[in-house]
Amino acid sequence: MILNALSITVIFIGVLSALLAIWGGILSFVLYRRWKRPFIPEEKASLEDRSYLVLLIMVIVLVIRLFDWPLFYVTLQSFISDIEGAMCIYGVTQVRPGLTRFLEFLKPVNFFLIGGWFLLHLLDRATKTSPLMKRKLLLLFILSLLVLIDSLGDIFLILGIAPESLVSCCTTVTDISNRPTRTTPLSIFGPEYAQSLRVLFFITHLALIGFIGLSLKFKIFRRPILGLLFLFAILNATFFLLSQVEVFAPAMMHLPFHHCLYCLWQYVPDSIVMYLLFILGTFSVGWGFTTELFGRHGDTVELLTVFFKKIYTFAFFFLSAFLIMLIIHLLVD
Amino acid sequence: MTLKKGWIVSFIIVVIVLAGFVWAIKKGASSDRCDYDGTRIEPLYAVYFFLQDGSEKKFCSVVCASMSFSALKKQIKVVRVADESSGAKIIASQAFFVESEVVTVPHIKNRIHAFAKKEDALNHLQKFKGRWIENPLDMSIK
Repeated sequence: MILNALSITVIFIGVLSALLAIWGGILSFVLYRRWKRPFIPEEKASLEDRSYLVLLIMVIVLVIRLFDWPLFYVTLQSFISDIEGAMCIYGVTQVRPGLTRFLEFLKPVNFFLIGGWFLLHLLDRATKTSPLMKRKLLLLFILSLLVLIDSLGDIFLILGIAPESLVSCCTTVTDISNRPTRTTPLSIFGPEYAQSLRVLFFITHLALIGFIGLSLKFKIFRRPILGLLFLFAILNATFFLLSQVEVFAPAMMHLPFHHCLYCLWQYVPDSIVMYLLFILGTFSVGWGFTTELFGRHGDTVELLTVFFKKIYTFAFFFLSAFLIMLIIHLLVD
Repeated sequence: MTLKKGWIVSFIIVVIVLAGFVWAIKKGASSDRCDYDGTRIEPLYAVYFFLQDGSEKKFCSVVCASMSFSALKKQIKVVRVADESSGAKIIASQAFFVESEVVTVPHIKNRIHAFAKKEDALNHLQKFKGRWIENPLDMSIK
């Protein structure tokens, strides 16, 4: 284990959130099971009190887990100097590649689900009758399981990264000619694939912003439309990833043959802000859809339009800000 | 109306701050980094491409240089490598190259060493179980 302030923080947060996730997960499942039965007023009051305590504590745990995603990468970054052969986070991920890859996949999933759950919680709290309480408890139980897996993963990973490990870094993987991010678009668009990717990304991104703007202007928040917007945001995210690796990251780093996104964060630190804007924008589109999917119930129906307006305004703002940052970078470069 | 104004003003402020941030970072960018993967260059293992247009490309190792070599070959006027014994820049075609157990740049596992003098190269070769190799940055190879 590499001992520094960040690794200790990650382990501390991991242990704490694992314990609280077990407690909160069991209790939320028990409360969910009891919630569906008809009960006498005293029983209901006691059930509500217990639910609010569980929700209060789990909200704190979930907020901490939201910040755990960036903390995870900051911690890996702090290990670079202790891993022989690592020049960026990619090198550190090669010490325990399987577990790190799993956590790198799980963390954004958790971030998305936690964000979606928070929106349901806010929506439910804005009503007088808490019509979403049962759904919230069930989703909280599922989230607790994911938080538990994530926390244990963090602990095992940090304990498992031995100092002085010898690894190869990104250059030997991200820059080889048969990397999938090159071969896939190459087979579709031909040798000029980079230009096609660049144009395609700008088209899909502008179209996504445009569709969100139209939804906001005409207040079209029907389920199929929001579902299509979410699917389009996923498609846009795919083009984002491909174009970043193949076109924009090398341009922003001034390294035309280097395609590592971890190196981009290192050499062009404001790209982290840029990526954060893109992630929040894309996730906001998804959160709008999950709110429609799980939040339409009883008293919430009247509040949904106001909620959607706020969520999609955020999405519009974040995606536009990302685009402006990217354009500024490309113009400066 | 006030809310809309607030949004526009905050949007402009954010953009200005971010633009300033980008500019500050560009200004502070380090010049002694490898032109292939951006890592810091250790002068003793550096490789330099002097291009036809008068510009220069620097690399942290022979491995990084050879990965850029094919793409830049038509633009290269001369290739120089650092002599590992003295640090002096020598023309690659006049250098002696040895591949040995010693890794100079760990992140790409560079084991190729360049020397100005044959004795130094031979000394390294015998000491670290090396072997002679051809110049990997040979301009004459098509």
